[in-house]
Amino acid sequence: MLPQSISSRASNRSRRDPTAPLRHVDPVLLVCVGILAVVGLVAVYSATRGPGPDFSKSYLVKQTIFMVIGAGAFGVFAAVDYRKLHDWAWAFYGFTTFLLVLVISPFGSQSHGAQSWFALGPFQLQPAEFTKLSLIGALAFLLSEFRGDIDLRRLVALLATAGLPMALIMLQPDLGETLILVAMTMAILLVGGLPTKYIAVLTIVGVIGVVGALNSPLLAEYQRNRLTAFVNPNDKSNAALYNIEQSQQAIANGRITGQGLFDGPQTKLGFVPEQQTDFIFTAVAEQFGFIGSATVLLLYGLLCYRIWRIAQVSKDSFGTYICVGVLVMFAFSAFENVGMAMGIMPVTGIPLLLISAGGSSTITAFAALGLVLNVHMRRFQ
Amino acid sequence: MDTTSPRLRMSILGVVVIACFVALFARLWYLQVMEAPALAVQATANRTRTVATEAPRGRIFDSKGRVIVDNRTSLIVSIDRNELKKVKNRDDLIARLADVLTANGAPIKISTIEKRLSEKKADQLQAVPIATDVTEEVIHHLSEYAEDFPAVSYERKTVRVYPYGMTASNILGYTGRITAETLKSLEPGTDPDGVSKTYQPDSIIGLAGVESTYEKELRGTPGIELVQVDSKNRPVGTESYQPPKSGNDIQLHIDIEVQIRAEQALADRLAVLRGTAQKDGTKRGAPAGSVVVLDPRDGGVVALASEPSYDPQEFANGISQERYLQLQNVNGASALIDRSISGQYAPGSTFKLVTATAALSNGLIDGNSSIYDDGVYKVGNPVQEFKNSGDQKNGNINVVRALTVSSDVYFYWLGDRMDGTTLIQDSATAYGFDKKTGIDLPNESAGYVLTKAEKKALHNKYPDAYPNGDWYTGDNVQLAVGQNVVVVTPLQIARAYAAFANGGTVYQPHVVWKILKPNSTPSKPDDVLRVIDPVVTSTVTLPPDVRGPIESGLEGVTGGAGTAASAFAGFDLSAFPVVGKTGTAQVDGKADTSLFASYGPGNSPKWVVTAVMEESGFGAEASGEVTRHIYELLANQALTGAGTATTGTRD
Repeated sequence: MLPQSISSRASNRSRRDPTAPLRHVDPVLLVCVGILAVVGLVAVYSATRGPGPDFSKSYLVKQTIFMVIGAGAFGVFAAVDYRKLHDWAWAFYGFTTFLLVLVISPFGSQSHGAQSWFALGPFQLQPAEFTKLSLIGALAFLLSEFRGDIDLRRLVALLATAGLPMALIMLQPDLGETLILVAMTMAILLVGGLPTKYIAVLTIVGVIGVVGALNSPLLAEYQRNRLTAFVNPNDKSNAALYNIEQSQQAIANGRITGQGLFDGPQTKLGFVPEQQTDFIFTAVAEQFGFIGSATVLLLYGLLCYRIWRIAQVSKDSFGTYICVGVLVMFAFSAFENVGMAMGIMPVTGIPLLLISAGGSSTITAFAALGLVLNVHMRRFQ
Repeated sequence: MDTTSPRLRMSILGVVVIACFVALFARLWYLQVMEAPALAVQATANRTRTVATEAPRGRIFDSKGRVIVDNRTSLIVSIDRNELKKVKNRDDLIARLADVLTANGAPIKISTIEKRLSEKKADQLQAVPIATDVTEEVIHHLSEYAEDFPAVSYERKTVRVYPYGMTASNILGYTGRITAETLKSLEPGTDPDGVSKTYQPDSIIGLAGVESTYEKELRGTPGIELVQVDSKNRPVGTESYQPPKSGNDIQLHIDIEVQIRAEQALADRLAVLRGTAQKDGTKRGAPAGSVVVLDPRDGGVVALASEPSYDPQEFANGISQERYLQLQNVNGASALIDRSISGQYAPGSTFKLVTATAALSNGLIDGNSSIYDDGVYKVGNPVQEFKNSGDQKNGNINVVRALTVSSDVYFYWLGDRMDGTTLIQDSATAYGFDKKTGIDLPNESAGYVLTKAEKKALHNKYPDAYPNGDWYTGDNVQLAVGQNVVVVTPLQIARAYAAFANGGTVYQPHVVWKILKPNSTPSKPDDVLRVIDPVVTSTVTLPPDVRGPIESGLEGVTGGAGTAASAFAGFDLSAFPVVGKTGTAQVDGKADTSLFASYGPGNSPKWVVTAVMEESGFGAEASGEVTRHIYELLANQALTGAGTATTGTRD
């Protein structure tokens, strides 16, 4: 934190104000986001154009539209002072929670065994994606109000806030999104000053909860198989292994330098399922090899590092908690998504943010990064 | 330490995130660098399917460069019977197919299709060929309206063509679809470029004759297309393509002209004799016989005839079970056996060559040693009598005369004198009897020449089949005239006479002369991949005092006093001397086996010709006649130069 004198002095000089938000844009973050978004477009196109000769551009066009909307959301969420958004946190939380209720009502649509989206013409809206951002906002609000003083009653309030959307998402059911919410909540509570004993208790409850969820009647047999396939990779009776095998073969097929753009046979021929979303990493890995895919992971790591750094330089704890939430949202989805494609994490359908095709997730990711930049830009105000 | 400090908590979070990324990098390195080769193999197998196209087999030439086995493309329409069972309007489909075939230049009746469908095939899973050699129009129509013709398939196959029809079928053999067991066990050959000639479940392989023994050469390199398929197994492109390459051509020692003559002469003579009575009144069955023509200079097989025979074309598109059974009984004999190499017969008097060689080279007799032949030879106690054929009395004779007139008594005497030794057996072994010749054709028989010890061993092993294990003088007496304890193949006889003709070298007979490049011109030296060199398996020591008397005796056989004089009446022996020996082997309850072994021209032998005819009577009247017909052609070739090799000289 900078000495108070500098910022107070700066406020008097509006024209060449060194604290002006635009002077504190994080260029590294912008570059990372830009490159990842372009890689995403290329990956989505290569995974969906088909073997030809009539290449399909529909996913490319859609994803470009989402990126443009996302860029808009990024601008808005960066421009408006996040401290003003503070007051809207609950409204946003309330709205997304309402959508989660609505989506499991007859208004929602179903696919892959989960009732998780609304059909809006050619587009699909997945409220669970937006929930990630609204939960970050609500938890950051509460924790910044509590100022590190968390007793059991406050903990219950925090857990209730996080638990409600989690429960609604589990009703869809969508374990992947729930797990992300769990990870984000844990991280925010950790940084938010939750006493260590509560953390220990919550960790134990979390483990029990995961085991319980795996055995709960909410999950169908095939879903359980998907989740546990990575533990027993040689269990031939488990049909879910086919996907993981195919995706690992595609990744291995990239070798060090990759098969070249549009030359990944596994990618081109549709052997990897859900390749534009859950298994998008295979398209990157097969076509661009270890060099390309490691670079993407490095960019991801760099992005996470920047967010982590911004969390630390934030002027207030509200900003810090927002950044922590967004950090885990990115880090966990990368770990889970890429780990799943490489067979070291369970198969849960969550997107690789900025790269996977999908409107709701892309717009949410941009908006979240906009907020992070927002915190960075206003760290002197 | 404050465990709730934001800075500490941020650090913990950072470490966790870093740990996650490190795990991802480690796994990525493992998959893309360490495990990549193994996983890539799986991936390729996953996304490609192999489509193999059979390549044309190599062609087969005779010694003079004439094509005797060729290829052509045949368009075949087949019906898969298992698929047909699933078709709803089965009769309707067959009627439509008949219409299409008839309208497009391949007329067929519905009943014919039904008949072919009901034929029992050796392989029930194989699609049944309904029409072969259909027109291109038929194929166009069927491919255009493929949906209307379920269970109907068509293919373009290269099939074998035999320009000389049934000629040499016993040598050439035939081809057919590989069986599942063979597919597993057969080791594929490689083409001149070192590419493996892999087999697929529908590959065609040689099943008999040189098609079988030279399978590795003749087989073409199949075209292998690695077709990329998508996840729904639809073809989307070609990953790699290796075009089919024809197999190596081969050139045989066989002279197709001589082969034709040998088969014709044999078949004609059998037909003439069949049903007539021989001298003692036994009816001649004359069901089967064989002729072997060898080149005594290198063991090359010039002709190899076996009657009855089959048409290899019948096997080209799959033979019906009914026809296969028919071929196993033609005039009471199987057409599928090559008697020239697998028929086993008592050699009769043709074996006297062996006995005479044993007696002369061991000093028992010389060319002048005489005995008095009164038609009967008595041995043992109690006395056992052995007679000349037809109770003939030859008077005072030496070995030369004994061979010419075929005195059994003289040889009974020699057998008697050599009893207690294995001199005859040793001589037989030197001439190459008692074991396979090693000819490059499948299913050769070995025959046997028993010794005292072997007879004992046989009795001990099979007491029922060989009730008597003792060796009597009578056994040795019979051995001396090629009866009872000796069984040979026609090829073995020919090889022994070839050895005598060339001065004592016993060659391994060879049908194949040269391996040529694919699509070769036999006369071009550059097209020769390799020549099969003659192989010497043993030698017979034939000094002049051994060879001379025997040669004189055999020279007389075709002359005025000889046993084959009648057969060679009118043949110009002065221009083309034929040296030979008749044989008449007794078979219990049947007409005699007629044999004739010979070579010519006598002064510089180029051919050995032997004939063996079952239930056909005396040596001269059946086999001698057949042999004479063959010599007429050979003499013509030798004297006029007709049919001289166009592929370079063999002399």
